[in-house]
Parts: sequence; structure tokens; C-alpha cells
Amino acid sequence: MTKRVSVVAALGVLGSLLVFASVGAAAGHAKHARHAKTPGVTKKTVVIGGTFPLTGPAQLYGVIPKAENAYYQWVNAHGGVNGRKIVFKYLDDQYNPAMTVPLTHKLVQQDHIFADVNSLGTAPNIAIRPYLNKQKVPQVLVATGDSYWGAQYKKYPWTIGFQPDYPGEAKIYGKWIHAHMPNAKIAVLRQDDSYGQNYYDGLRAGLGSSKSNIVDVETYPATQTDVSAQVAKLAQSGATIFALFAIPQQTIDALVVATKIGWKPTTFINNVSASPVFMSLAVKSGANVDGDISTTYLLDVVDQPNSSSAKLYKKILARYDKGANPLDLNNAYGVAVGWTFVQALKAAGKNPTRAGLMKALTHIKRWKNPFLYPGIHLHTTPKDRFMIQQQKLVRWRNQHFVPFAKLFNHAK
Amino acid sequence: MRAASRLLVIAATAAVIAWLPLQLSDYNRMQGASVAVYFIAILGLDILTGYAGQISIGNGAFMAIGGYTTAILTVHHGWTDVTTIPLAALAGFACGVVVGLPALRLSGAYLALLTFAVALAVPQIALNYSGFTGGNQGLPLPAHSGLWLYAVSWAASAILLVLAWLVLRGRTGRAFRAVRDSEIAAAASGVSLSIHKALAFGISAAYAAVAGSLLVLVNSFINPQMFGLTLSLYILIGAAVGGLGSLWGVLVGAIFVQLLPSGLQSTQVFHAAESVPVIFGVFLVVVMLVFPGGATQVLRIAGGVTRRVTRRRAAPEV
Repeated sequence: MTKRVSVVAALGVLGSLLVFASVGAAAGHAKHARHAKTPGVTKKTVVIGGTFPLTGPAQLYGVIPKAENAYYQWVNAHGGVNGRKIVFKYLDDQYNPAMTVPLTHKLVQQDHIFADVNSLGTAPNIAIRPYLNKQKVPQVLVATGDSYWGAQYKKYPWTIGFQPDYPGEAKIYGKWIHAHMPNAKIAVLRQDDSYGQNYYDGLRAGLGSSKSNIVDVETYPATQTDVSAQVAKLAQSGATIFALFAIPQQTIDALVVATKIGWKPTTFINNVSASPVFMSLAVKSGANVDGDISTTYLLDVVDQPNSSSAKLYKKILARYDKGANPLDLNNAYGVAVGWTFVQALKAAGKNPTRAGLMKALTHIKRWKNPFLYPGIHLHTTPKDRFMIQQQKLVRWRNQHFVPFAKLFNHAK
Repeated sequence: MRAASRLLVIAATAAVIAWLPLQLSDYNRMQGASVAVYFIAILGLDILTGYAGQISIGNGAFMAIGGYTTAILTVHHGWTDVTTIPLAALAGFACGVVVGLPALRLSGAYLALLTFAVALAVPQIALNYSGFTGGNQGLPLPAHSGLWLYAVSWAASAILLVLAWLVLRGRTGRAFRAVRDSEIAAAASGVSLSIHKALAFGISAAYAAVAGSLLVLVNSFINPQMFGLTLSLYILIGAAVGGLGSLWGVLVGAIFVQLLPSGLQSTQVFHAAESVPVIFGVFLVVVMLVFPGGATQVLRIAGGVTRRVTRRRAAPEV
């Protein structure tokens, strides 16, 4: 092949490729415009999806989608919602936002989900938020309590959270410390992203003038499960209060390390890492967790095991999520989210649309979710998207959490 | 005759690549775009390892350089994302040359270790300057349609393929091959080892950086976990499976590395993402044992068979 021929050939190939690509672009757009029906909704089914850490550093949350799906199966067995059965596709993103994004593309473009429901994690949800909002796919009941979901609705109208927001929760700890231990030195361990930052900001807000008592703050990256170095450093600060804003694996590690090195602070554990199951795991590994403080907003299966909600919850798990531990509050969480989505889908009407679902979720008038702590309501308006704003303080005594103090409200 | 048939094959391949997106769902177009990302990355490694004989286990790090160039310019400085790609290539080239300089004194396993260190260090650096890079939480970028991504990434692939071909067929390519085959002989013939080794690293890293840029566009997201050691290894596996020192093998390698994991996931045979490296490893061992030349060797054997068949048929007419 002579030099000139080959160059011409190369340019020819390149040119034809570009022409084809642009033709393809035009054809693709035409195809796209024809789409009008609501994706994921047929006469018989509603397909929804989400991403969860079924494996990896946050895998202790992996039970949530299974419990949630158990609730959907229970609803399906009782006729579904307006005759439609709910199909819940949940994929494993290992709590790694770099995996969440392509999996979400798959859910939206391949599986044509109606909505992305309850995807777990702050960083993963931040990563997919621009995409889902651009595609106008509801990103609802996200399994993270960052304040963004409620606060940034103007920029991301298709996104809404569920659980109490982290800053609000940490504010409760701050207020309680300010009222009851105003002179105690405080050490903080937090994750090195906005999940950890949200709690830390809330704690400082709640502490008010006592925030100068914070003597040391250590961080860890989510991928690192060993936090012994950080805990050892915090113990040396002489603090008598340990505020622990981590995900479960790291929380358990921190509790164990603190006990082993003989540090005995009053420990505050953020709600999402304080499931009784995690506490028992810590105890089994040698941690002393008596007197540790957290919050709850979920169904109480220990103190009120015979309430109708607790009975139903256990029945659903026993039938559709075999082997699930009812004491693991992550299961109660999954079922509570399932209940909320089903109610919203009902409220969206006989022929639900994505916009209809968002409207339902932003017009919640004091719904009483049976799987939440008695007295707590779901409530939203288009301008107030923080769905749950009440929490109860709990203290670990004799192998379970005991509620104490009044029902706190974040907004107040 | 041979040149013409070769041209035909190239044109046919290009036509298939251009025609495919018309048939695919938007999700599969994104998969196609991801194949292009690996295509460019493996092409870059092939230039370095296959042609210039220098080993790198660190091309994932150069992808990170490109990816962060694009992400930071787009998110923090308001650039249009596509326009950052040439700059990413430049940044990659510069970093590649810097890493290539020690290659003068190191070779074989020692050079591999150096690039290995680079692969491990770069994501940590990104993690350290989290105010700038978003740390583990990463930076989200504007999302694009699958078609747009497919068109942009394959157009970039075509341009880079032509450039690679132009570089490799000429004086520089000859010098690369001379360095690969015998450094002493190359130096004796007047080929500057320092310039050509650094240049090979630079070009390879520039290609990796463009691939990294495109990876970030396809994912509309960046964090350091995307550029871990596995990425570098996947590129190496793609190059080995495709066959080093062949531009055709690159395409096969790219398809293999991108589509095997997602194929495994969708068939539901292997649920855990952890099974992918195992499958890759087994496949790699088998390929190395049976076809050490990778897909290129298979293609060559197949080509040889067809040529013999056609020649035999044509014989009576002569």
C-alpha cells in the first residue's frame, strides 16, 4: 500500500464513521420523541429499582432491600396496588458511587424502572442525582439522611428523602449534651465525606456555646474498615464524650477498640449505625456498650412485641424474608419504606405517572406509618420535604435500647 | 490485492461500529461507548508495551489524570466537557514523559514495579486533595445520552487509531520496535533510547488520559475508586487477550474486558461482582497457554487458512 492511498483510506474511514454517527444521532432522537407512556408501568406491574451495598464495606445494610421487598411481596399477595404487582429490582453497588452510576443507567435504560426507590448511601445518591433528575426519573425515599434531599429540591425536584435528616439527629445529641453534660470534653470520629460532615455540623449547631468543648475530630475514608488508629488518638484527647458518626462496620470496630484500650466515655452512636444487631456484634467482639446513646424513629419490637404493627412486621418477615432477624432495625426500616412507597403509589392514582408519584410524596398529610415509633408522623409539603422530623433518644441497657427523654422534633 | 482486502475489512469494521447504535438501546450504546474507552486505553498500552517493549501496570493512573482534568475543569471552571479532552491528553502526555524518564535505567520487573507504584499512588493523591477532587464522594458531572457518548467516544477512537497507525508505520514506529527488540542494536543504529522511551510513555499516557476523560463522561461521575489497581490490570488483560503488537487485537481486547463482566452479571450466573476477576484470571491463564499471541494469533491462523483455501481454488486458472 502506498503512503498516499493509506492516508486517503484512513481519512475515508474516519469521515464515514463521523457521518454514520451523526445520522445515527438524528435517528435516535426521532425514536426518543415517540416515547410517551409512563416507563415501568403496565396493566399488571409497576417496576421499580434501587442500588444497595449487598457486599463491600457497608454490607450490613444489605438486609434493607430484602425486607422492603418482603413488604412488596406481601402487598402483591393481597392484590397489589390498583391491581398492579410491584416488581423491585435491587442491585449491588458495594457502596461505591462509581458502581452506582452504571447500575442506575442499567435500571433506567435497560429495565425501564418507574422510579429509583430507596437507593442507599449519601455518596451514591449524590452521584446519580443529576442523571435521574435530567431523565425525570423519581429518586425517592433515598436511604440516607443528609439534609440535601430535603433542602435542594429546587435544583433537584425529582429527589426526596425519607428518614430523619442527619444534622437534625446530631442536633438532638448536641442539645442533650449541652443540657446535661455542659462541661464534658467531646471527641468526634466521622466519615470523611458529606455523610460525616452533615452529622458534625448538626452536632455543633446543637451544642451551641458548648461546641468549644470539642477537643478532637478524626476522620476515616469509607473504604477503610479499621479505625483503631483514629480511636486511639481520640482516647488520648482526654474526652469523656465520644460522638461516633460512622457506618456500621467502622462503628463496631470503634466500639471494640475503645473498650480494649480502656477508654470509657459516654458514647453517642448515630442512628443508622445503632441497630441492636450491630450493638450485639460489637458486644460479641468484646465491646462494652452499656449506656451508649442513640435515637430511634422506628417500630419498637422489644418493649411492645405484641402491638399489631410488631406482629404484622414479624409475620411479613417470616413469610417473605426467611432468616431475617426482626430485632435488626434495618429490617423494620425496609418495611417502613415499603409501606411509604405503597401509600404514595396509591395516592398517585389509578394510572400513576412519575409526576404523580412526586406530587403524592410532596403532599403527605400526617400519614401514620405503622412501622414507625408511636407518635411519629410522615409529613411533607412541596416546600418542606423533610418527611420524618421526630426522634426519640434511646440508651443501651441489658441488651437492648430503652427510650428515654421526650420525643424531639428537629424543626424546633 | 492484499492492501485492498485489508482496506475492505477496515471499512466493514468501521461501518459496523457506525451502524450498531441504530440497533441498540440507549443503555447498550453506553456499553458501546465503554468499549471505546477500553479500546483507547488498550491501544495506548499496546503502543508502549507491544511496540516499544516497555511494561506498564500503571496506565489506570494516567486515566485518572485525564479523568480529573476533565472533571475539575468541567465542575469547578465551567468548561464544556468535550473541550477538555485535548487538554487531558496533554496532561497525560506530560505525566507519561515524567514516568518514562526512569525507564532509561529500569527494565523488566523493576519498571513494572515503578508503574505499579504510580497506579497505587495516584488515587491516594486524589483522595488527599478532597476539597479539589471531591475525595471518595467524588464529583458528579452533567449526564449525556448513550448515543452522544457512543458517537464522541468512537470518533475519538477513530482519530486516535489513525494517529497511532501514522506514528507506528513511520520512522518513530521503527525506532520503537528497534528499542523493543534490542536496545544495544538500536542505540548502535543511532536510535536515541532516552527520547524514544520517554516518547512511548508520553504517547501511551496521553491515550490513557483520553480514555480516562471519556470514562468520566460515560459515567457522568468521578471518584478515586474508579481508577484502582483493577483498572490498570483490566487494561493489561485486554492487551494480552487481544494480542500485543497488533491494532486489531486491541478491539477484541476492549470488547472482552468491557462486555464479559456485564455479560456475566446479566446472565445471573455469577451474582457477586467479586467473581469477575476470577473469571478474568482463569481466561488469561488459558489464553496464555493455548494462544500466547492472543486474539491476533487466532485471527492470523484463521486468515492463513482462508488464504490457503482461496489460493488453492484460484490455482487452476493460473
